Amino acid sequence: MLTALFAIAVSALLAPALSARMDDRAGWFLALAPLGAFAWFVSCIPTVAVGGVVTESIAWVPALGIDVAMRLDGLSLLFALLITGIGTLIVLYAGAYLSDHHHLGRFYAYLLVFMMAMLGLVLADDLIAMFVFWELTSVASFLLIAFQHEKSVSRRAALQALLITGGGGLALLAGLVLLGIAGEAWRFSELDVAAVEAHGLYYGIMVLVLIGCFTKSAQIPFHLWLPNAMNAPTPVSAYLHSATMVKAGVYLLARLNPVMGGEGGWSDVLVLVGASTAVVGAVLAIRQTDLKRLLAYTTVTVLGQLTMLIGTNTTYGLQAFVLFLLAHSLYKGALFMAVGAVDHATGTRELAKLGGLIRFMPLTGAAVALAAFSNAGLPPFFGFIAKEFAYAGLIEMGVTGWIVTAVMVVTNALLLAAAGLVFIRTFLGARGHYPREPHEVPMPMWLGPMLLAIGGFVLGAWHHWPETWLINAAVQAVARGAVDVNLYLWGGVTPAVVASLLTVGLGVLFYGFRHAVRRHIARWRVFWGVSGDLIWDRLLKRLFRFAGMLASGWQHGSLRLHLILLGLVLSSTVFVGLGVGGEPLLGAGAHPAGAVSPLSLPGVVGCLLALAGAGAAAVMRGRLALVTALGASGLGLALFFLAVNAPDVATTQLMVETLTVVFLALVLRKLPSIPGAAPEGRGARATHLLVSVFFGAAVALALIVAVNLPLAGNISEWYLQNSYPGGKGGNVVNVILVDFRAFDTLGEIVVVALAALAAATLLGGGEHTEMTRRGQPEFDSVLLRQAVRPLAGLLVLVSLVLLWRGHNLPGGGFIGGLVAATGFILVVLTFGNYPARALMRLRPTLLVGAGLSCAVGAGLLGLMAGEPFLTGLWIFPLGLPLGTPLLFDMGVFLTVFGSVMHMMQRIAGRAT
Amino acid sequence: MEFLIASAVGMMTMAGIYLVLRGHTFPVVLGLALLSYAVNVFLFAMGRLAIGQQPVIDAAATGYTDPLPQALVLTAIVISFGMTAVIVVMALRAYLESERDTVDLGEEEPPGGGAQQ
Repeated sequence: MLTALFAIAVSALLAPALSARMDDRAGWFLALAPLGAFAWFVSCIPTVAVGGVVTESIAWVPALGIDVAMRLDGLSLLFALLITGIGTLIVLYAGAYLSDHHHLGRFYAYLLVFMMAMLGLVLADDLIAMFVFWELTSVASFLLIAFQHEKSVSRRAALQALLITGGGGLALLAGLVLLGIAGEAWRFSELDVAAVEAHGLYYGIMVLVLIGCFTKSAQIPFHLWLPNAMNAPTPVSAYLHSATMVKAGVYLLARLNPVMGGEGGWSDVLVLVGASTAVVGAVLAIRQTDLKRLLAYTTVTVLGQLTMLIGTNTTYGLQAFVLFLLAHSLYKGALFMAVGAVDHATGTRELAKLGGLIRFMPLTGAAVALAAFSNAGLPPFFGFIAKEFAYAGLIEMGVTGWIVTAVMVVTNALLLAAAGLVFIRTFLGARGHYPREPHEVPMPMWLGPMLLAIGGFVLGAWHHWPETWLINAAVQAVARGAVDVNLYLWGGVTPAVVASLLTVGLGVLFYGFRHAVRRHIARWRVFWGVSGDLIWDRLLKRLFRFAGMLASGWQHGSLRLHLILLGLVLSSTVFVGLGVGGEPLLGAGAHPAGAVSPLSLPGVVGCLLALAGAGAAAVMRGRLALVTALGASGLGLALFFLAVNAPDVATTQLMVETLTVVFLALVLRKLPSIPGAAPEGRGARATHLLVSVFFGAAVALALIVAVNLPLAGNISEWYLQNSYPGGKGGNVVNVILVDFRAFDTLGEIVVVALAALAAATLLGGGEHTEMTRRGQPEFDSVLLRQAVRPLAGLLVLVSLVLLWRGHNLPGGGFIGGLVAATGFILVVLTFGNYPARALMRLRPTLLVGAGLSCAVGAGLLGLMAGEPFLTGLWIFPLGLPLGTPLLFDMGVFLTVFGSVMHMMQRIAGRAT
Repeated sequence: MEFLIASAVGMMTMAGIYLVLRGHTFPVVLGLALLSYAVNVFLFAMGRLAIGQQPVIDAAATGYTDPLPQALVLTAIVISFGMTAVIVVMALRAYLESERDTVDLGEEEPPGGGAQQ
């Protein structure tokens, strides 16, 4: 079964390419996959017919107990045969129908994807897997309805179908999850019936599942989308919107009938909704003049009747359900395909323009005749048995049954009249006024309808075949208990036969007086005003307006208001959390970590500097003053890091601070001055101040409380112990960066490189701008020139030393790169950009590239040695430890250096 | 020490948020830079403060500082520099293209108006 799904999915993928190469012959190849699947399912019939099941399963999300579990029983088999069998014919038909369409390949792909999804839906035993396939059919249906997307009608219909079935899908998902919880299993076959029925949410589950099924199967009031979906190409209408997809809802109802169909009102709802749908569909059908829409409404009717039949839950009712399902798929598929052929041949589907086609299209006409007889429920066609059993099933129900039967007689009579319209009005009588000269359609187009129509006749005439091989097993799967299946064409003069006779009589009357009937129906104006698409359009409009209101309330376009809200919520959460948690403040706790660390001079100075800098930044107005305050704050932090024995971090902070200030100052100098802070209202400022104070206090408090708690776990211990033996380095920070967590570092230097490239690109300019700025220094001072020369050289030397010793002593690639960049920037500032470039010889971007290659290369060496990516490898020539982490660190050095230089040179070289 | 650094972090956060709430881009950029400092120190402090302990493996050492937050913060500092550079350049570029320097859409200003240092 999984192979069948897979094969169809693969042919869907191949379809566009194949179609481009082979034009309309591609269909014959693509039909092989469904045909093969059909053959396989046929071979399963003997197993399933005697009550056996075929199961297959692969784990999908084992952690949640979700498998792609497949289970083939009677009901699934019936559907699978319909899907693959009709699917094969449809693929062939589509090739001829759309032979001149330039997107035929895409059409095949969508169609096959749908086929795969639909097959998965009926085979899946797992609730969640079934749901996934269910949604996939909705998506495929959307794509197929919108296939002629140039037409706005198609787009609207596709969206409507997607919204309705998708919305129902949401309800279904909720229902299925609840069902799984209530039934204590995630397989349809393992659901605990007693547990579900006793569950408190039984009615909730029922409503949710029913919404899902009713939307999919176009029951009232969700039937809107189905007639509109007829804007799709005819193969789609024939396949999705009559034979298969719309039956998915009915399928699920049938599948769940043994579980849900107890005394909980399930049957009543199904009968009521199904019967109303059937009546509305039939009345609307007879009003149509477009053949395809007429068929669409009769499909709605049939779907209603099917739903109703499940609801009867009687012996005859369930048999009738299975019979009717099969009969309808056969004849309606045939009729749709034939109508498509008529449309193809004559260029119209309007009843008024058609007539007398049998002369031009004898084969199609014959197929339609057979299908229409089955549709009308005349003996000995399969449709007759289905109708007979349906009446018998309804009558079995008692008083309600009688009322429903009366309604059904009228409905079926209308259907019969509709069938008459399709055959008699189109193919017999006088020659119509066709836009095109009609001709018989090519073989693939009449083959499908013909085979299906003949199927309807054969199954009816030799009804003991389907009884033994198909119907029995399917009925057992739908019923709550064992059901005795016995098909017959003639069972004596029973009430059902009388009802049948009545139906035929009424139907002939309706057809004879069809104009009068239409006139009468047209009088109920109130009714037409209510039903239809109007409500839908208004609903959507209201929905959009509501969404717009909601969105513009929140998306007011003011970053500041968002921030204020965010800050207030976050700080309130912190305050409340701390209050509720009741953690003691610093020093007050009994934790050993609660001990306050002693003050040290650099620490105190650093903290005060950071504090003062930050405070000044908030108060200062001028932009250079702001930069200076930021610099002071950063320097203070560097001091603090030094005081708490983090020399690497301290050096990095120091270097970055220097570079930041230089960069910001250059930006301010080089680019046209932008306006400073415009005067703002006093009230606004006060609010901002309040929010920031609130937020700052929350953060400070959180920090105090957090450091007071003992450390959970001890990851660092591992790093400390393994640094020397494993990483061959004494500077644990550096070993972590270039060895233990080198992958992280690799990502980080890539970020740095990308940031530099982005900033430089945004600055614009590029090569020639830099060249025209040759030799123009920022500070033109002889004294500075003389002093900077040795200083810059020294800095570069120091950076190399830092790089080398970084593995064992404070230093490393990051710090080295930053120091080297600082040295070169001195040169740039003093001598101008061009001499600096000449001195460096290499372009910074080249350095960045070389650095990243170094780092990745170091990782690949590990990979080549058969170890995971970035594993450290070491050699010891002359007792000197050399390893790939050092190469990696060099890569870090070059990347950081190159990135900073790239940005700085670009800004320094930019014309003011 | 903990109290002191917590105040510094609180102050930096406060100033950062206050600057971010300004109407023009340059203070906002600096505010973000200050906020990133505060975040870095906060992260660092999560490894607890250790005065007078060794950062580097040494036979004579009695205890070590926590290396993991240090490694994390070190790279974070470099990356926040990159980020600051990108957003300041982006802000300038946006100003050059649109002649507007306000953070929020509603607060239009006359093109090129109100230039002041």
